[in-house]
Amino acid sequence: MTRTSGQSTRQTGPDRLDGYTEAAVQRLLSEHADIAEQGVGVSRRDHSLVLCGEVESAHRRAEIVRLVAERFPGVRLIVDIVVSRTTAPTETEELS
Amino acid sequence: MIRVAAVGDVHMDSDVLGRFRPALAQLGDRADVLLLAGDLTRHGTESEARCVADEFGGLAVPVVAVLGNHDHHCDQVPQLVGILSDAGVTVLDGDGVVVDCPGGRLGVAGVKGFGGGFAGRCASRFGEPEMKAFVATTADAADRLRAALIGLDCDVRVALTHYSPVPETLTGEPPEIYPFLGSYLLAEAIDAAPTDLAVHGHAHFGTERGTTPGGVRVRNVAHPVIKQAYSVYSLAGSVA
Repeated sequence: MTRTSGQSTRQTGPDRLDGYTEAAVQRLLSEHADIAEQGVGVSRRDHSLVLCGEVESAHRRAEIVRLVAERFPGVRLIVDIVVSRTTAPTETEELS
Repeated sequence: MIRVAAVGDVHMDSDVLGRFRPALAQLGDRADVLLLAGDLTRHGTESEARCVADEFGGLAVPVVAVLGNHDHHCDQVPQLVGILSDAGVTVLDGDGVVVDCPGGRLGVAGVKGFGGGFAGRCASRFGEPEMKAFVATTADAADRLRAALIGLDCDVRVALTHYSPVPETLTGEPPEIYPFLGSYLLAEAIDAAPTDLAVHGHAHFGTERGTTPGGVRVRNVAHPVIKQAYSVYSLAGSVA
């Protein structure tokens, strides 16, 4: 038996949208020091990458979009990230 | 009646300062205590902790918190606890506190908790040292939560965690990551005491309401789940 070293033929890069890109973006959002978001969903839809979820400020939303676009310039983004509301509650839940 | 306000996953930093204050200014009329269910900061830095102190310090009601995974990221937990304590926030880690409220004595036992998953699909203390350590971390947290809950002398008993004790409040999250979002061991600890309510955060895409196998109401108060500054729960209590 001959053991061969694996020779990948996969073409990868910042313009390609596949499962590896999806994983890379998700980890980028968690692990990048300026982002640290684990609550933003990343998924592929047709030929686009969808980012969805809620963040605590408009600045954080803008940083996420800027960073992903910068790192993956060829990937078409659909951004559905909103800023969480901070209004006071209008009701109390009775748990008796 | 005792009114418990709660929110988790506020992920404070300077860009969020002041956002919660208008709603918090009304807290004294709405609740007897505020619980913070972890992930108070983005990275767990001292400067972020000072933002938490500025935002949630000096309120009209006592504030009781547990830390979350984000608060551990920079390995500055003692500094965070010090800053929050100086601001009057009680930070629980396997212990409890009793708050005298107009409606009775509210006992809160808190621990961050950890992952591991839920019945039938959970991690086991078997195999590699890393796997054993993972499960042992959760088991230790659950043991400390159980002891803290049982040790409370109060009229109403609340469990406060960051990780979830049940899968129901994770509905909406990908099932593949449930083992990273909570553990049934926390529910087992909660059910070991006559607990009236369990509050947690962590799961941003989860669902607000669930129950433990023993029937204790569970509420996921992660900020993106409740979609308001805090939720308020009114409890009459079932224990003396």
